[in-house]
Amino acid sequence: MQVESEAMQNVQVVRLKGRFDAFEVPAFTDWVERHVKPSHAQVVVNLEGVEFIDSSGLAALVKGLKRCREYNGNFVLCYIQQPVLIILELTRLDKAFTFYEDETSALEALSA
Amino acid sequence: MPYSNYEKWKTTPLQEPPFLSIVIPAYNEAERILPTIGAIASHVSDLGFPWEMIIADDGSRDKTVQIVEDLGFANLQVLRAEKNGGKGSAVRRGILAARGQHVLFCDADNSTPIEEVSKFIYQLTQGGQDLAVGSRAAEGAQEENKSLMRRVLSGGLRVLVRYTLNIKVRDTQCGFKMYTAEAARHLHNLQTINGFSFDLEILFLAFRQGYKVAEVPVTWIDAPGSKVNARKEVQRFLRDIWIIRRNAWRGMYNRAPEAAAEAPQLANSPTA
Repeated sequence: MQVESEAMQNVQVVRLKGRFDAFEVPAFTDWVERHVKPSHAQVVVNLEGVEFIDSSGLAALVKGLKRCREYNGNFVLCYIQQPVLIILELTRLDKAFTFYEDETSALEALSA
Repeated sequence: MPYSNYEKWKTTPLQEPPFLSIVIPAYNEAERILPTIGAIASHVSDLGFPWEMIIADDGSRDKTVQIVEDLGFANLQVLRAEKNGGKGSAVRRGILAARGQHVLFCDADNSTPIEEVSKFIYQLTQGGQDLAVGSRAAEGAQEENKSLMRRVLSGGLRVLVRYTLNIKVRDTQCGFKMYTAEAARHLHNLQTINGFSFDLEILFLAFRQGYKVAEVPVTWIDAPGSKVNARKEVQRFLRDIWIIRRNAWRGMYNRAPEAAAEAPQLANSPTA
């Protein structure tokens, strides 16, 4: 899985591409460890390139969400592909995350 | 990719026989089963034909059965098992319960992505094949995250299988195989091996019975949490090669499929 990120305004956008499973989780958790700080806890996760996420990937997203909340920040998802949306629904994690259609609307919401 | 196709599949019982049945054997898969169901349901619901999914539990001691039953999907059936009888027994129960014109069995960890399914359907509907067998060894296949030990073992076993059982596919063990309904019922009614190497027996029988078998290259991603104990499975594999040869010498595979279905199981190799 590729993990690319970019700071836009006061928000960090992380773009994931590939299968988000246990082999790929370390790359994402490493990114969270290095980039999410008390002063930088606004995160948009762009999932446009992710077609499959397993339970480890889901757990990594939940950890990212918790970490941002600890720092009074936000951790939102955008560009969710249908298989990932269905997996979030089946695991009932759709209730835990805020989704946006694209990066622009996510950035607008977090910058407001 | 309309979401409505998936919604219809999960809420509206089929009014016609399924074109495809997907059988997933499951043993203690509480953690992995929902993402796999989600990925399959999303993809296959968009292919435009009626289909069903069967989770063939293998005596799980975790909450696999409850988690899947709680979904309450109209075209998703759970087959309960009181005891852990081995992957082969779960696949067999699932396949014999399937109502589809074509039957796919695939592993619960989604290690062969469901997006590969169209190649298999093509082989059966356009290519005139009776079986389409996923292969990590055929030209064009991709393997990711497979350990060196598993590669060496697989290579050695492939050579052994080719020369002892005359199976003409390079990968017998990939958990992604599709059959016509007739071939599926016939072969699994003759099956005697309940453990991990049941695939060997099915392929041995398929070639012996003259079914047309296509080897289809697939992408395969080793999923962490595999329940395969390599050393134990190699021992069972060698033992099962011997059992298959012995069964053949004794004429056990010459019975009518219906009679074979009644026959006692010979080799019980639980996965636990």
